[in-house]
Amino acid sequence: MRTGRKKTILVCCGTGCLANNSYHIYMKLKNLTAEAGIDAEVKPIIKSTGCNGFCEKGPIVKIIPDDISYYRVKLQDADEIFEKSVLRDEVIDRLLYKDMSTGNRVKSQKDNEFYRKQMKLALRNIGEVDPANIDDYLERDGYKAFRKVFFEMTPQEVIKEIEKSGLRGRGGAGFPTGLKWKQCASYDSFPKYVVCNGDEGDPGAFMDRSIMEGDPNTVIEGMLICGYAIGANHGFIYIRDEYSLAIKNISVAIDAAKKRGFLGENILGSGIDFDLQIVRGGGAFVCGESTALMSSIEGKVGEPRAKYIRSVEKGLWGQPTILNNVETWANIPLIIIKGGEWFSSIGTKNSTGTKVFSLVGKVKNTGLVEVPMGITLKELIYEIGGGVIGNKKFKAVQSGGPSGGCIPESLLDMQVDFDTLKESGSMMGSGGMIVMDERTCMVEVAKYYVNFLSEESCGKCTPCREGLKRMLEILNDICKGHGQPGDIEMLEEICDTLSETALCGLGKTAPNPVISTIRHFRNEYEAHIFDKKCPAGICKELTKYFIDRDLCTGCGLCKRNCPANAISGNAKSAHTLDLEKCIKCGNCKDTCRFGAVKVE
Amino acid sequence: MDIKIDSKICKAEYGEYLLQVAGRNNIYIPTLCHSDALPGQASCRICIVEVIENGSSKVVTSCVFPITKEIEVITNSEKINRMRRTLLMLLSMRVSNNEALNRLMVEYSVPAINRFTLDMNEKCILCGLCVKACEEVGQYAISTVSRGITKKVSTPYQEPSISCIGCGACASVCPTGAIDILEEGSKRLIWNKTFELMQCTRCGEYFATKEQLDYINERLGYETEVLLCEKCKKNAVSESLKNIVQNL
Repeated sequence: MRTGRKKTILVCCGTGCLANNSYHIYMKLKNLTAEAGIDAEVKPIIKSTGCNGFCEKGPIVKIIPDDISYYRVKLQDADEIFEKSVLRDEVIDRLLYKDMSTGNRVKSQKDNEFYRKQMKLALRNIGEVDPANIDDYLERDGYKAFRKVFFEMTPQEVIKEIEKSGLRGRGGAGFPTGLKWKQCASYDSFPKYVVCNGDEGDPGAFMDRSIMEGDPNTVIEGMLICGYAIGANHGFIYIRDEYSLAIKNISVAIDAAKKRGFLGENILGSGIDFDLQIVRGGGAFVCGESTALMSSIEGKVGEPRAKYIRSVEKGLWGQPTILNNVETWANIPLIIIKGGEWFSSIGTKNSTGTKVFSLVGKVKNTGLVEVPMGITLKELIYEIGGGVIGNKKFKAVQSGGPSGGCIPESLLDMQVDFDTLKESGSMMGSGGMIVMDERTCMVEVAKYYVNFLSEESCGKCTPCREGLKRMLEILNDICKGHGQPGDIEMLEEICDTLSETALCGLGKTAPNPVISTIRHFRNEYEAHIFDKKCPAGICKELTKYFIDRDLCTGCGLCKRNCPANAISGNAKSAHTLDLEKCIKCGNCKDTCRFGAVKVE
Repeated sequence: MDIKIDSKICKAEYGEYLLQVAGRNNIYIPTLCHSDALPGQASCRICIVEVIENGSSKVVTSCVFPITKEIEVITNSEKINRMRRTLLMLLSMRVSNNEALNRLMVEYSVPAINRFTLDMNEKCILCGLCVKACEEVGQYAISTVSRGITKKVSTPYQEPSISCIGCGACASVCPTGAIDILEEGSKRLIWNKTFELMQCTRCGEYFATKEQLDYINERLGYETEVLLCEKCKKNAVSESLKNIVQNL
């Protein structure tokens, strides 16, 4: 008998898992735990945690110390999990992860191919701690870095440590964090401010959300350390209003930190004051740009300003301000504890540490992944991501958010770091990675992003507002078959002016989706403009499907999947497609296993 | 300190804006969103120039670029002129047939382009001067609303604004004449709001809105008994000056 044995059940309550009913699973397990009573052989503790990253396979339930991870758990599985894996030590095979390459079931998260190559630094606590419980964070060395800084280090030593780490801003531009702090500390103008940029707006990106929801204390601790280093007493956490769980968890964490005396006046008797306040953003993408964000905090229209005088000198209300992204803040406590040198030993020479990517699109394993800088795109997409869905041909990966670029297959061996990505015509951005397969039209992709940016640009300066509007007009025309000779050159001209003359970073990088697709997929543009064809079969006006009679086996799969009843034919004989009825959805092409559906 | 603009040596104070220094030295830099009375807008981007520092050149916006060290500036390189042409072309697609814009189009030989659908009714180039002027007056009656390609200048919810005093400062700084002021008899219509105009005590001309005069009094802290229009005010000042001189 091992009476009083402790087990912890961790139920992922990140947004992805919550959407799949994980809260009810959590409550059910909690009730079961309470019902089991204190006399039970096992004393389970149940916790709701932040996002584990592998959202595609959620809800996720983990049991420690047994190190069992269950995926796609349903409410009806809760009893069985409790009976077998909590009260007894049995493993439920069918809920374990199935390795794509070997087909074996994997018990521990560590052995799962999605996690194997990952290195969790910024995400170190997520999925392990209850974000609403500050003690959980304290147990995992939380607020240890802050104590060390406040009571053992001078501000200069803190800055030196951050400089030594080589940490670069994770929000997009990759400015060296230590240098930023050092410059800000050098100005003798008070008050100073510390700002956290949690206005994550890139389509498909959710790394900042995951950190704010799953480990809010690390953000607070990072900001506290910065406040000490630069001499600021006040900080703002700017969170987009759509992130309600992040707002809730951060405010719970701020309150808890205040109660423990980590925030407020005379912190732990040190004589230093530091307070934090949440500012809710109104949902404008451009407010993720640092100066527009500050303008928004000040209560003004969220428009960027020229950065000839940097925010470290004149930021919020004209005072020296440090603004860093959520993920950057999450790295700070770790660097203080383990040392800048340790951090700089990870990753590449000029891009140290790890980066969190949200791997999405046509890839088998989607979710949040944290990997050392310098990993190749191939490793990221094929080893962690498990390759392209349906074993279709890879076409491109779009990185860096809407202002990022598309990277073609020929560059898959490329290292992922700030500088290499920039050279390829893309950028690190906040770390979005959208995988695209052969059924993607690159002109349409460029159109999608230009459309997004034309709506989300602040609209203040001519090149961005008018340039994007006219680029969108050209791209719409091209996709509809109205492209004209000279369109590519006109796009290039506008892109060139936009990237040089726009007011802010968003505008300067806005041409990237167009420039990078023209650079790597010019032939697709030409096919649209001159041959009036969309090679990927996506632009409806330029696409005609037909069934190759020699390849069709008459299996009937396309016929069953056609929503317009446009396909006819008897079993085991070649089918035909009625162009009159065809709505060009592409279902037939996507489902055909013999490559018999073709694009004319 | 000394800076070099188009090979002319110019004196500049630390923190002074480049456009200002160039203007003082009679060096022409074209602009569409600049008013000497208001801070730099940096929105039209026509005033871009090249700054050469440590051997490398960068494009900066001269109306908001502060001089902090001795630099070399080129205001009309081939690169800058090419970009100005593209910017003017883009603006002319938005606002066709505008005098201020047309002058610059001719100056920079912007080629005619028929690639795009023109917006025939638009007059505003969104320079933001009107919003800034209203802010400086202290009323905040108008602002830019929406963002991206749907951005425009408006009163809150396009309703007549309670803050608007009908002073017309917005219209007077507008470089393209995009803000309409309609005046008929004792009425002035601006931003969908009708104002009652006050008469000049001397010449009887309707010259300012009641709200505007009240606001001026409020700011001055005292009330003037006679209401004089600009012209009569000038006359009154010169008359009293004349009297003083004659009585000497």
